[in-house]
Amino acid sequence: MTPSEELVRHLPNDIGGLPADRIDCMDHELLPWEKRCHALADVLDYHKILNTEEKRRGVEALGSEMIGRLSYYERWIVAFANILFQKQILTPEELALKMDEVAARHAREAEA
Amino acid sequence: MTHTNDHTPITVPDGAPGYYEVMETAMRELLAEKGLIQPAEIRRQIEVLDSRGPQLGAKVVARAWSDPGFRERLLANGRAACEELGISFYDDTGLIVLENTEQVHNLIVCTLCSCYPRPVLGLPPDWYKQKPYRARAVKEPRSVLGEFGTIISPDVEVRVSDSTSQLRYLVLPLRPVGTEDWSDDELASLVTRDAMIGVCTIEAQERKVQ
Repeated sequence: MTPSEELVRHLPNDIGGLPADRIDCMDHELLPWEKRCHALADVLDYHKILNTEEKRRGVEALGSEMIGRLSYYERWIVAFANILFQKQILTPEELALKMDEVAARHAREAEA
Repeated sequence: MTHTNDHTPITVPDGAPGYYEVMETAMRELLAEKGLIQPAEIRRQIEVLDSRGPQLGAKVVARAWSDPGFRERLLANGRAACEELGISFYDDTGLIVLENTEQVHNLIVCTLCSCYPRPVLGLPPDWYKQKPYRARAVKEPRSVLGEFGTIISPDVEVRVSDSTSQLRYLVLPLRPVGTEDWSDDELASLVTRDAMIGVCTIEAQERKVQ
């Protein structure tokens, strides 16, 4: 099979059966923001705003390079942002401005 | 395609929150400002997540070992039987319990992402979510099991079940020999998360010294 056909046949999440490294039995305690991210996903699911299947497709839509370079919850939060933009629940501008506000608040708290 | 980050340890930034944490906070605050979620709901869900862990699955397994009627109901409808023990399903998923026997050893995986029986086991370990396990479990389960130190006899079938967003699996391990007179609590203390994923078995036990 040519390399481009392989891209069509296997989307980035569809890795069952592919060759891969040995299993590294590592684990880590979730960071507080990772746990909040998980709770946010569950709450959005309760409110029928974002379900598990949309979340999985949202991660897949990030493409293989982002999937490879972002950590698990980094992929989630970026996927949620894209999905909320598509659903016109948030706009990119709103989120960017709010992120600036949050970062500035953290900077002030660090100085205080 | 590469998944190079799969093995990078997540480092805790000392100082300002990183880009993605800021994104999480900003998104959560915006959604709350719009009235789409309540901050209390996030706090409550964190408590729910913290309350779930393998101790719940262990209780289910111990009961199935000691109570044949419960075992039958559990295999017929995993979710209903767990709810019978007071374990609620907060994520609207079905549960199929796969019973290990002398002829069949079960292993669960989610090849597409990280679906896992969270109401009864809590959140999955990192290795369950990473490429090597997801890619290889369905193709070469015996090598995967070997990397967990688990050797399944060649005359036992290894059966791999791939979870979906709607349907999750839990392995009911074989009851170890030597536990015939044990109480449910004692039995539950033997049941590990990894045995309920199917990457290991539960060793035979020495009879307790009274």
